[in-house]
Amino acid sequence: MSSGYLILPVVLPIVGGAFMPLLHLPDKKRNLFLEILVLITSGIAVACVFQRPEEGFTLFHLTGNLDFALRLDGLGSVFACLVAVLWPLATLYAFEYMRHEERTTSFFSFYTMTYGVTMGIAMAKNLVTMYLFYELLTLISVYLVMHPMTKKAIRASRTYLYYSIGGAAFAFISLVFIIIYGDTTDFILGGVMNLDKIGGHVQMMQLIYLMAFWGFGVKAAVFPFQGWLPKASVAPTPVTALLHAVAVVKSGAFSVMRLTYYCFGADFIRGTWVHYVVMSIAMLSIIFGSTMAVKETHFKRRLAYSTVSNLSYILLGVTMMSPLGLLAGMSHLVFHAVMKICAFFSAGAVLHQSKKQYIDELDGLAHKMPLVFTTYTIASLSLIGIPGFAGFISKWNIAAAAMHRGENFPFAYLAVGVLLYSALMTAIYTMTVAVRAWFPDKGYDAQSNEGITDPGWEMKLPLVLFAAAIIIFGLGSGPLMDLLNAIAYGTF
Amino acid sequence: MSGNFELFHIVWFPFAAAFLCYLVGIRQKKVRDRLLQLSVIAEMGLVVWAVLSWLRLGELTFIWEGFCMQGIYLKMDGFRVLYGCIAAFMWMMTGIFSREYFAHYRNRNRYYFFYLLTLGATLGVFLSGDFYTTFIFFELMSLTSYVWVVHDEKPAAMKAGEIYLAIAIIGGLVMLMGLFLLYDAAGTLRMSELYTAVSAVRDQKQAQLYAAGLCMLFGFGAKAGMFPLHIWLPKAHPVAPAPASALLSGILTKTGVFGVLAVCTEIFRYDPQWGKLVLYLGVITMFGGALLAVFSIDLKRTMACSSMSQIGFILVGAGMLELLGTENALAVRGTILHMVNHSIIKLVLFMAAGVVYMNLHQLDLNDIRGFGRRKPFLKGVFLMGALSIGGIPGWSGYVSKTLLHESIVEYTGELAVHGEPLLWIHVIEWLFLFTGGMTIAYMTKLFIAVFVEEHPVRQKEFDGKKHYMNGESIFALLIPTVLLVLMGFFPYLTMNRIADQAQGFLHGAAPVHAVHYFSFGNLKGAVISLAIGALVYFGFIRKFLMGKNDDQEQVYLNVWPDWMDIEDLIYRPVLQKAAVTIVAGLSRILDQMYVTQMLLKVLLNVMAFFSRICDHLVDGILLFFRSTTHRSKTEQHIYLIGTRLSRTFGRILDNCVRVLNRTILRKRPVQRSFVVTFAEWEEMARKTNRLISASLSFGLMLAAIGLALTLVYLLWW
Repeated sequence: MSSGYLILPVVLPIVGGAFMPLLHLPDKKRNLFLEILVLITSGIAVACVFQRPEEGFTLFHLTGNLDFALRLDGLGSVFACLVAVLWPLATLYAFEYMRHEERTTSFFSFYTMTYGVTMGIAMAKNLVTMYLFYELLTLISVYLVMHPMTKKAIRASRTYLYYSIGGAAFAFISLVFIIIYGDTTDFILGGVMNLDKIGGHVQMMQLIYLMAFWGFGVKAAVFPFQGWLPKASVAPTPVTALLHAVAVVKSGAFSVMRLTYYCFGADFIRGTWVHYVVMSIAMLSIIFGSTMAVKETHFKRRLAYSTVSNLSYILLGVTMMSPLGLLAGMSHLVFHAVMKICAFFSAGAVLHQSKKQYIDELDGLAHKMPLVFTTYTIASLSLIGIPGFAGFISKWNIAAAAMHRGENFPFAYLAVGVLLYSALMTAIYTMTVAVRAWFPDKGYDAQSNEGITDPGWEMKLPLVLFAAAIIIFGLGSGPLMDLLNAIAYGTF
Repeated sequence: MSGNFELFHIVWFPFAAAFLCYLVGIRQKKVRDRLLQLSVIAEMGLVVWAVLSWLRLGELTFIWEGFCMQGIYLKMDGFRVLYGCIAAFMWMMTGIFSREYFAHYRNRNRYYFFYLLTLGATLGVFLSGDFYTTFIFFELMSLTSYVWVVHDEKPAAMKAGEIYLAIAIIGGLVMLMGLFLLYDAAGTLRMSELYTAVSAVRDQKQAQLYAAGLCMLFGFGAKAGMFPLHIWLPKAHPVAPAPASALLSGILTKTGVFGVLAVCTEIFRYDPQWGKLVLYLGVITMFGGALLAVFSIDLKRTMACSSMSQIGFILVGAGMLELLGTENALAVRGTILHMVNHSIIKLVLFMAAGVVYMNLHQLDLNDIRGFGRRKPFLKGVFLMGALSIGGIPGWSGYVSKTLLHESIVEYTGELAVHGEPLLWIHVIEWLFLFTGGMTIAYMTKLFIAVFVEEHPVRQKEFDGKKHYMNGESIFALLIPTVLLVLMGFFPYLTMNRIADQAQGFLHGAAPVHAVHYFSFGNLKGAVISLAIGALVYFGFIRKFLMGKNDDQEQVYLNVWPDWMDIEDLIYRPVLQKAAVTIVAGLSRILDQMYVTQMLLKVLLNVMAFFSRICDHLVDGILLFFRSTTHRSKTEQHIYLIGTRLSRTFGRILDNCVRVLNRTILRKRPVQRSFVVTFAEWEEMARKTNRLISASLSFGLMLAAIGLALTLVYLLWW
């Protein structure tokens, strides 16, 4: 396939989304148009992944040796594929969810544009391009958080904006330093640091890595910059699910992977003080997120805190600074996306059908919405890491990477303990909901559940597909793991 | 996938049957009930088929690479054959019994679905050949059996379910940690390869291996009901429906024991330190369970506590087989046989309790006393179970307890030869015998309460119940009872052979010389236990645990204080309050509310301060110039009113008035200014002037007109 095709998945949704409001289509036709647009984009993206063009595609030169260029490599393919599969389903879900909302046209316009930008992050060839798309993602998704236009939503979007822009500033500093002290800004597995140029500035570059880790980590809600994520759960569910469980936060985690393994290089960091620091940050976020989730009683906010801790699982894998760690991080990147979107969509379906937001209102609701709570229960079991579900595989990988790293870096053993603590907390915060819904205490308020049913097919279909994916990945993850393994060792 | 597919069929079939039964059950309840019975019988058939292949081919194995990532490895050899059969058999019997028991229950479909899922998972555990496979099926089993515990959805059941789930998940996680440590140290999880792998690294990684072992002991021990993780057991077993209680007690606890035994023999084979740990925990479990059982006044709770106590016996055996080293034949055989006995005994007893509950929907001894009078079948069945578990010579429990006791005696002898202190082992031996006595005592209590004493009010009604169970249930109770009796009466034919087959799993050899179960030395232990039992029953239970109620009737008293509950006393406060609050508190301090916002605020304030200083630098320069060189002129603006005349006179008058005000008019000073007054006057005068001049000119004009008209008149007229 010619490398020119790479431009399509990025540009199509952005242009389509931007011009869609000009068409003034009625709702049904607009939905059809968007779904087809998104499907075509996904199709091209997946085709690009399978018929991967070796060469990159340079759009234009910014200045000097800074190019605005796209290219697909192994890691990018994984992320692009993930996004391409999830987006059409999420769009489908959004149609039903947003049916009774206002200003849907502008909402869907931004929603679709975000798709293109996320694709841009996945396909960026070098740090500059990724940085540009990263900033763009912030700007476009702010509107989506703001969409309910309530005071709370506006405040949340403001927080989101502050955090993201602040983080991007950190990221920008690292960009400058990589341009100065690296051979190139392209992504090359193993890093581009030029030790001759760095000379005596090793300590400083490590500090720069820490800043960049935090900078890109803001989107991955890494401690102490996690504050925006639970607040942003005021946004409509398709946004919280897709953006704040998949696209935005995963872009953050993905960027950290790029930064660690493809810019600085794992060898550069391994065993230094900054290695301890970033690993501690990841562990702290895990403990923090999962504990806060237990204390939280708002359904969607609880899941948001869960996202905080799960994103740091990915980062914990990444900070192992080994191919095994990258493999673990990637596998959790993929699996967490599927299970969290499943959990969020279930929560959204509950909210949409029953208008219930708090966990203590959900008593006995599972008997009214069996399908939604079945998918939710599957997602929760997977989040805990019960064998037979996808979450177990990735957690096993993370722990295995930690055990392996622990041989010459004993600090990593602590990671296993952290994982177990978090798994316990996960069990508490997910199962309490499931147990309440399936096995209510006698004498609960059955009146308030009257007339609530499962949602329509547009919401059900994604839920069922995601739940099925969780089980299928859980039982037979061999081929995928082989692929990720090849990527992590740079042979794909 | 490769190997002997018989094993694979055993495991997948129940899962498929579960879904089938569920789908059928949505429409056709009756068909579903039959289909369920058919499924468990078919499962038994599959196991038998596998056993036949095993007889023909020897050890069976099955591997499915990549399933759940690490792949599963199933295996069937002596011990696994035995427990595979027992599991399938117990499910078959409870399945047959369930149809009548559950006839009036709600949510049966859900129950049966999880009932069959658990069957598949349990068989997976017993057939597993590596710890990874064990773990996968173990977790699955823990979760699916949770539904049994909460099936009634009553508050007690929900609370028990909560603690059951918590222990299951914590246990599973800790076990997973143990597996990581073990895998890291040994590089394999396959049971048959572990011992060699572990021996190679034992010296370098002693601590890690012990840590791994402890974690796994925690996980498996939690399921087995080992002290101090037993807390869920006396709560969860009684609240589940009776067939489920039978399975929970009889077979699910054994999966934990299976794991503990595998850890003991494959990782720490003949390790005396480890043996002592397991032995001590076993003794506490054994004694504590029996103590709880003696105090309990609930039929099923007593049996649940009894289960805990019997697990303690088994763990004592597990400890002994470590301590005895290579000559552990007695302990190995005792452990295995006691497991088998306990499974079948609990099957019988819990189903008997189920019959009582099915008819009365009550389990308190005071409510159900006398129900078993004039019901010879039920009485017989229960008696066989009670005699067996009490270890009465001639019944099966006697054989296994004798073997366990003998192993303690043998170890005492060994210690004496080496001249080591003997006191602790004597204490353990006496505790063993004493617990045996308590077993007899609490079973006597149950038997006398249900089958001998009369109910003060409802005895007639009880005696009138002739058709208290149907043919299927009778069949389900009869078969295991017969099995139990056969095993007890012909131990050499039955139990010795079972032990011969299964002992390879625990790496025990056949004993050097055959054990004569009914020799004088062995009977002595039973007699001591019987004597203690009689003493406890008549001297303690009837004296202190029975008393008069308000109506002066002899009733069973619940004297165990409510607060003496290790769960409420220790675990809940520690786990729920302390741990979560501390971590959550810390997290909240670290939350953005405090850290990030504080940082931001401090940053903003500091920056603002500096900016303000910079601001004022320029301001200061400006101010300096404005107050010196560029000072603006200050002039008084006077707004003039009136004309010069009025101002002059006004000022003169004003000055006069001021003088007057200070002198004469001090009391009532004149406030107004004459300048203003004159100015007003002038204004008024000007206006009036203008008016007058206007009206004067008008008058002149009219006069002129009149003059002109007069002139015209004079001239032309």
